[in-house]
This record gives sequence, structure tokens and C-alpha cells, in this order.
Amino acid sequence: MTPLVCVDSLSVAYRSGARRIPVVHEVSLQAAAGQTLALVGESGSGKSTLAAALLGHLRHGSQVTGGSVTVDGRDVFALSAPELRRLRGRTVAMVAQNAGQALTPSMRVGRQIAEAGGDIPVTDLLDQVRLPRPAELARRYPHELSGGQQQRVALAMALAARPKVLVLDEPTTGLDVVTQRGVLDLIAALRDELGLAAVLVSHDLGVVAHLADEVCVLKSGRVVESAPTRQLFALPEQPYTKRLLASVPRLDDTGLALVRETGEREIRPRAVVPQDAPVAVSARDLTVDYGSSRAVHGVSFEVRRGEVLALVGESGSGKSTLAWTLAGLRTPSGGTMTHESGDLARPAQRRPMSLRRRVQLVFQNADTSLNPRRSVGDAIRRPLRYFGTAGGRAESAERARRLIADVRLDPALADRLPAQLSGGQRQRIGIARALAGEPDVLIADEITTALDVSVQADVLHLVDDLRRERDLACLFISHDLAVVRGIADRVVVLRGGVVVEEGPTQAVFSDPRHPYTRQLMAAALEPDPDAQPPVESAPDWTDAAQEGEVWTDHADGHRTRRWRPADTTPNTPDAPSDPIAEGVT
Amino acid sequence: MTTLDTARADAPAPRAARAWRTLRSSRTAVVGLAIVAVHVVIALLAPLLTSYDPIAGNTSQALLGPGGAHWAGTDQYGRDVLARVLYGGRYALGVSVAATVVSVVLGTVIGCATALRGGWFDDLTGRVLDAVLAIPAVLALLVVVTALGTGPAVIVLAVAVVFVPQVVRVVRGAALAVVPADYVTAARARGEGTWPILRREVLPNIVDVVCVEFAMRASWVVLLISSLSFLGFGADPPTPDWGLMVAENRTAITVVPMASVAPIIALATLVIGLNLAADGLSKAWGVDRIREGL
Repeated sequence: MTPLVCVDSLSVAYRSGARRIPVVHEVSLQAAAGQTLALVGESGSGKSTLAAALLGHLRHGSQVTGGSVTVDGRDVFALSAPELRRLRGRTVAMVAQNAGQALTPSMRVGRQIAEAGGDIPVTDLLDQVRLPRPAELARRYPHELSGGQQQRVALAMALAARPKVLVLDEPTTGLDVVTQRGVLDLIAALRDELGLAAVLVSHDLGVVAHLADEVCVLKSGRVVESAPTRQLFALPEQPYTKRLLASVPRLDDTGLALVRETGEREIRPRAVVPQDAPVAVSARDLTVDYGSSRAVHGVSFEVRRGEVLALVGESGSGKSTLAWTLAGLRTPSGGTMTHESGDLARPAQRRPMSLRRRVQLVFQNADTSLNPRRSVGDAIRRPLRYFGTAGGRAESAERARRLIADVRLDPALADRLPAQLSGGQRQRIGIARALAGEPDVLIADEITTALDVSVQADVLHLVDDLRRERDLACLFISHDLAVVRGIADRVVVLRGGVVVEEGPTQAVFSDPRHPYTRQLMAAALEPDPDAQPPVESAPDWTDAAQEGEVWTDHADGHRTRRWRPADTTPNTPDAPSDPIAEGVT
Repeated sequence: MTTLDTARADAPAPRAARAWRTLRSSRTAVVGLAIVAVHVVIALLAPLLTSYDPIAGNTSQALLGPGGAHWAGTDQYGRDVLARVLYGGRYALGVSVAATVVSVVLGTVIGCATALRGGWFDDLTGRVLDAVLAIPAVLALLVVVTALGTGPAVIVLAVAVVFVPQVVRVVRGAALAVVPADYVTAARARGEGTWPILRREVLPNIVDVVCVEFAMRASWVVLLISSLSFLGFGADPPTPDWGLMVAENRTAITVVPMASVAPIIALATLVIGLNLAADGLSKAWGVDRIREGL
């Protein structure tokens, strides 16, 4: 069988001033109908450039310096503009990363799909992407759909003209695990139904293991290793691939994995938190409202010094709201929140300075958490001077350099602008800035989500080192169960602003008792094509908490919110009915 | 554990150098700025460029056409038109720059503050500014001038009343894009006040918008001030001022057309220069932003 997509020693370079910087270097690959080829690599590996080249698109300023791309027998870079337009959509279709941005907000989704061309009725297409009640859904606007539904609509649009090749650029990044699982299964089913050749671009090795038949590992624009999925994951040949695979946190790791140059993993034992460690921060029956809607319904937790408490949940579970409330950016509407040295229920500006500096927040997106017009040294000196932890100008400069060294960076970086640093370096500077106030509570809000997997491992190690060195109480917020498994001492699982399960990490992961926790774990994707879900999928359930009988205890601080199996089975994709009874806390 | 991630190879040049390079790449901006620069130089060097007094008249020389002694002729009081045009640039530029600076500074501060504070403060300011915007510019100017009398200080104030709301609108829009950024949130979480956040975090990121706004407003201000003078509410005679000159000499336009045309040419070139500069700047920096992905 001749491959549908054939890339032959393609080189792409972009122009920067007088120089030409190669971004793709003599890459060759092929994808046949009914097969999925995955392009894997970290940021800057050229995988997105390559994917766009399949549609005959090059970013402004870049050009093909060698090789060719043949799709369905035609050389895409030799086509005229009208032919290229016909090729896009009818032969090759693309599904972009962020469906929310790919859909026009002011147009009903039905019309948008119809606009994509093809003779297939819109309702059939929506039905094909397994959306319930297609006729009604077609009349909705994109903002009325959930993230998973939007991605399904984007898929329907891509499929409207019945293309032969589907290019998927990070199709599930930004979706919750359960939703991601659903979308991936849909893509696999559609590929088989329609006999598509799929090219999947992803940084997530779990997604790749789940979906791909062939994997092509890219690094700095070159193919490092190319092999069938099973073979690549079982017996990676190149050290880079080995390191990449080893860097991915697993659900069964008992601590943080340390990856050697050769790609061997070594699990670092978890730090032992002494039983009598003082409680640094505690929340009781905390509620937070956005206008008239309640984001957090009576959550209680406490974090001791030197302990990492993980808040886990999908988007909308209230975990970031909790972080912001703790940091003083929102005012709780009920309950109490206290620190060793004072009341945290007030917004940051009204907290005394001594208390303010002791609770510090690290942001998810290091790209936007540093002011692009100020040097990173300046970003760290500001809190030093502001909180009065350093006296004079010279002292704060010296302290800033030491903080930069503390986060394992070269102090000479102090004079650089954020744009001159890599993503991982920026995130470390973000941590250094938080440490400038000498906090004893560090709130880490999804700090590794935007990072590449090897950089993520380094940053996690840094956080783990810092809490040992500085005896920090760390509130670690994440949607990634595998990351949490490695770093957290205790876990709190949130669902719709309510705690459904909490306990020591070991207990929760080895024996998840709440169906929602089981559902999350079952949906998590391991970087292993033959991985069995660590737990059986959960039964449908409804909340059964009542006043006075909210919790079921399982010993050693492990407890779950009461639930009972659901009688009916309302099973619509991506839109589970909310089984949490409001107000019972 | 690795100590260092690899730094990006091509480090961008310092900001000032980069801004200058971007600026130079836009021909429009360069031409515009050059025209404005020529005006500034002429206004500053006016005493060296002409030996005539722009104010003292010589009735025996009244209403002469362009000639060897008076290149642009004389007006009805026998004053040299060229000298008055050259000196007139001082008034036009001085008052316009002062008025633009006041408008843009006030507008920027209020615009940033409304974007940062939000809530009722934003709503209230917005509605008050809407009300001011609803009054026609010249009418608002006339009200202020009639109430407070003439003089450069009053003109500056009057222009600020007219233009501050417009500047606020534009700056608020730009600042709204910066305010949700995490570095502003980080400053808020430190408990910093509105002013330090504005100065340290927001302002450096909207400086290009403010610059373009300055160039754009300046051309409007020059026109507005000249119209005021033309109407008799701006510069008091015998101050050399372009608007005033046009007003004074329009009755004799058939006799000495140059006396009216010369100030018009001066005014037109200055406004065109400022407009070109504003256009070029906004395009150059706009493209720059897109390229950098900021």
C-alpha cells in the first residue's frame, strides 16, 4: 500500500535578520491510511512546523530549504494557491490545539460546520462525533459548549469534506483527563471508520501511547528515533528517547523519579514529615462565591510545615479558586482560614505585612508571570525590598543573586529579560520570586502544566528540595495524578468545589474509594501502550452526604464523601450530571 | 540535577535600541519625525533665520507681495510674513506640546487606574467621560475660554478637558490587556497599592501605545489650538500665531494671498508630519508586537 503522506528529507528554515535558522532538518516520515503516526517532541522540536507543512503552510518568514512533502500523490509545495486551497480541507484537514479559539464565537456551530464544505448534513456529522441531540446542538454558540464538546465540533468541521488525512495538533492539551480520554477514543474510532491517515502532534507520551501506531521522536528539528509504538515504548534505542520516557511521572511511582543520563530511573524516597510538625495553614468549611454562584462549597484542609498537600481535580473543581483565596486575591464568603501567625480571611492588601510575605503563590504560566519589560533580577528584588527582607539596594541585589542560585540557576541571569530565558528557567525565577518573602507556605498552582516533561521533572525536584531545605508547607495544585503521586504527602480530591476524597497519597492511590477518584485514575494515560488502567472504571454514582453523615472513614486519615450507586444511567459524553448535592458540607 | 537550561541563542537587543531599529524600518515614521524635527529647529532658530521683528510693524511697508526684501511679503501692518510664520511655530509647538503632554499624562494615569481598579470606579469614570465626550470639542473649548479668559495656561487646560477622555479610552483598552497578566496578579498578591503596580508593572508594557497616542493627539491639538486662535479665542494679537495670522489676513487674501497661505502651509506640514509619525509608529510597533508575540 502506498503511504498517503510522505515527507522526504524535508528541511525548513526561518529567517532571522541575515541568518537562516533551521527548524526542521532532513526529516523523512510516512503515514498510511488507517494508521496514526505520532510526532513527539518537546517545545522547539519542530513538530508543529512539520504538521503545518503537511497542509502546505509555513509560518511567516520560513521557507523550505530542501526535500518535499507529498500528500495523496501531490507535492504540496509545488501546488498553486487554488489547488492548495482545495487540498486543505478536502484532502488534509487540521484540528487545532485550542478548539475554543478555533471556533468563531459569534456563529452557531451548525453554520460553522456547514461552512467547512462537503455534502454531509451537519446533524450527521455531529452524530458521528458522538454528540447527543445534534439538531439542538447545531443551533448553539461555541461558548455554550464545554471544552470537550468544542473539540468534538472542531473534529466534525475537519471531517465535513471527508479528508483522507487528519492532522491533529495537540488535540487534547488543555482538556481534563476524563474528557481527553473520550476525545482520544473518538479519534481512534473515526480513524478506523473512515480509513483516515492521522498525524498526531503531541508532547504527551501518554496520549501517544494510547493512540499511535508509529512514533517519530523529534529533537531540535531532527528525527531521533522512529519505530512502531509498542517497540518504541518497550525498547527505546536512543538515550534521548530513554530519558524522555523515563522523565514521565507514573501513577505507580512512590516518590519523585530521578532520571540519569542513560535513562535509568531511580525513585527518590519521600521526605518524612514528623508527626508533630506544626500546622502552617488550615482552612475550615471554606466557601468562595463568584457573584451568585458558589465555586467552593465548604472545604476543609490543613497543611503542616514540610508537607506537600495536593489539591487534585478537573477544571471547575475550585482548586485554583482555593489557591487564589489563600493568596489573598479573593475573599472567602464563609468559613475560616488561619495561618500560624494570623487570620487569612482578609484580602492581601489588608493582611499585615508580616503575614502577607509568609503565604506566597507560584503561577501556572511562567510566560505571563514575569513582567516582560523588567529584568528577572528586578522581579526578585522587588518583593525583597517590598517585604523588607533585604535592607539596602546592594543587599537586595546580593540576596536576589543568592535566590537565583537557590533555584539552581546561574546568578548571572539576573540581568536578563524574561524573553531571554527558557520556560523552565522562567518558572524557576517565578519560584525564586515567591521565596523572596521568606514564606512558610508556598502555593504552587499547576506550576508544571506548561512545561516540557524533562523540565517538569527538574522543577518538581526543585520544589521537593526546597520544602526539605526550608521546611515549607506546600499546597500543590494539579490536575495530573501522576505528578501528584510523586511529590505529594497527602491528597485532596475536589469535584465541583467539594472534597470527595482525601488521605495520604499512598492510601488514596493504592485504594481509591470514591468513584470519582477511580474515574480520574482510570482515565489517566500512562506512557505504555499495554498499560492496564490501575483501577476498574467506576460505577455511576450519586452523592449521599447528609447533615451529620458526610464522611466514610477508611483509617489513617483516608476518608471519602458518602455516595451510593446511581439508579439511572444518564451517560452523555463530556457533560456528566452534577451529582454533588449543594450545601451539604 | 541540571543546573542550567539552555538559554536561547539569539538574545534580543536592549529595548531602546530595538525600538529605534523598528522605528527606522518604517519610512513613514522617519519622514514624519523628520518633518516635525525641521519645524522644531526652525522655531528654535527663528531669530537667526530672519532679521525682522515679528511684532513691530512698519506701515510704509504694508501689504507688499513676495519680493527680495520680504520673501513672503508683508501683512496689513507691514510686518514680515515669513518672520511671523517662523516665530509662529514657537507658539504653536509650545502650547501644543504642553497641552498634549498634560492630556496624555492625565489620560494615561486615569486610563491605567480605571483598568486596574475596575468595579464602580471604572463605571463612574467611564460615564463621566462619556458625558464630556458628548459635548462638541470646540463648544467645550469655548466654554472654558469664556469662563477663564484667554492665555496659554487656559488653552492648555481647555485642550486637556477635550482630549483627556479620548486618551483615557485608548489607554484603558491597552491596559486592560495587561492587567489580567500574572505579574500584575503577583504584585496584587504582595498587597501592593494601585500606584506602584501602575508604575512598575502596567506602564512599561503600554509605553508604545502611549507614544503613538501622543503623536496622534499632538496633530489634533495643533489644529484645535489654531482654530481657536482663528476664532479669536486663542493667542492674543499681536502674538505671531498661525491661526491668528490666517484670521487677520483673510480680508486681504486677494491683495496678498501669501500672508494667508504661508501660515496655512506651515500648519499643514506640521500636522502632516505628526500624522505620518503617528501612523508609522503605530504600524511599526504594532507589527513588532505581533512578531514578538507579545
